[in-house]
Amino acid sequence: MEYAFFLGCTIPLKLPHLEKAFRDVASILDLKLKEMVGVSCCPEPVSLQSLNIDTWMTLGARNLAIAEKMGLDILTICSGCYETLKTVSVLLEGDEKYLERINAILEKINYKYTGKTKVYHFVEIFSQPEWLDKLKKLTVKPLDDLNLAVHYGCHLIRPSKIMQFDHPEKPEKIDIILKTLGAKTVDFATKLECCGFCARLQEEIGENLVEEKMTELCNLEEEVDALIAVCPACTTQYDRKEKIIARRTGKELDIPVLYLSEIMAVALGVELEDLSLNQRSVKPNKLIEKLTT
Amino acid sequence: MTEMVKKNANDLDKNFRYEISEKIGAKSLLKCIQCGVCSSGCTVTEYVDMQPHRVVASCLLGLKEEVLSSQAIWTCSLCHRCTERCPKNVDYSFILALLRNMAVKEGKIPKEYSGTIVTIFNNGFVVPYTGGLKDNIDRRRNRLGLPQIFPPNLDEIRYIIEETGLGELAKKKEGDK
Repeated sequence: MEYAFFLGCTIPLKLPHLEKAFRDVASILDLKLKEMVGVSCCPEPVSLQSLNIDTWMTLGARNLAIAEKMGLDILTICSGCYETLKTVSVLLEGDEKYLERINAILEKINYKYTGKTKVYHFVEIFSQPEWLDKLKKLTVKPLDDLNLAVHYGCHLIRPSKIMQFDHPEKPEKIDIILKTLGAKTVDFATKLECCGFCARLQEEIGENLVEEKMTELCNLEEEVDALIAVCPACTTQYDRKEKIIARRTGKELDIPVLYLSEIMAVALGVELEDLSLNQRSVKPNKLIEKLTT
Repeated sequence: MTEMVKKNANDLDKNFRYEISEKIGAKSLLKCIQCGVCSSGCTVTEYVDMQPHRVVASCLLGLKEEVLSSQAIWTCSLCHRCTERCPKNVDYSFILALLRNMAVKEGKIPKEYSGTIVTIFNNGFVVPYTGGLKDNIDRRRNRLGLPQIFPPNLDEIRYIIEETGLGELAKKKEGDK
């Protein structure tokens, strides 16, 4: 199976080490990716949808049309891109009139979208039984000693009538992937809380949400080795704010935030020095020590 | 706390509810039973001047000006928990996006939101990718052995932005960047 690889903006331009880890994983698992030429920002779901839904949908449809021309479905590694592209694809699939209106604009710049492109987040692919089998077979460094906390984030799973990804209140797909790699995942009360990155008007909303989650994780009976996320916004939000809050409050918040692709790469045998694990505010020193002993 | 709004029945915009509900995906507004499930699960419920169920009630009542000027509609993080949990399937987070669109048309846009369209208009991406910034990004990607970025044709992106009505906003702010 081959996918049109939709990179988006934040990961390739700001956090390319996350892309690198994903490409390593894809290559080990023999997941075929085809580069998309000329795609724009997905566009960013929160601002663009807020400013003008038509602009959001039409720019999104242009990206879907590029995949359609390639004859491939889209694979994305960012939950924001996933929300935009999946929403646009699902809404247009059921609304011929809207599709016509959008195509009237797209045709002027020589694109046409017929509504066929399906959109997948990489979690969706790797949590399918056949890929889990493959993951199990190819794991060379089982994560047996690790206790991981999963952050699903909002845009991956909700609204479930559109995303159709996992149970909206009890998602388990990321946990399943991590358990297949040998890790333990912890259950905690704030697991499904929003990271607050998109509550842009008041900085304190995000800070309070991050403080609440990280404090809970630090106080769990079993020590948590890392928080695992699959969205670049959530990842940077927890990593940066955790450090800021620790300084402000004197709390010892030191849980590193890793992208799912990074921890998968570790389990699949990618060398730690090839993974830029130190490229974050909260350094995963203890984790690296655990992984190297 | 929200200040008490006193208004004569004649001053209510009775058409406001239909102005919203006639839009694609917003018909569900009319089904609200004011149970408050949206507000109890809302991520930002303690930070807003009007909780979600009150925004909906105000839309139904016709308090257009109050809703479109509220801080509540822009404080939301679009976590979609309200939409997920509503027993009457009111798609509040989508309706909220529509309310933001309406506020934008009246020129009411917080600066935290207006910059995105300028960056996309200028770069095709939501992250600046020109000049020295581009060189740095390309070098970093090169070091990691990642393939080259293929930026979109900006004329196409700009055409879509203008045709769908955000051209003025995207260009007006261009000088500010």
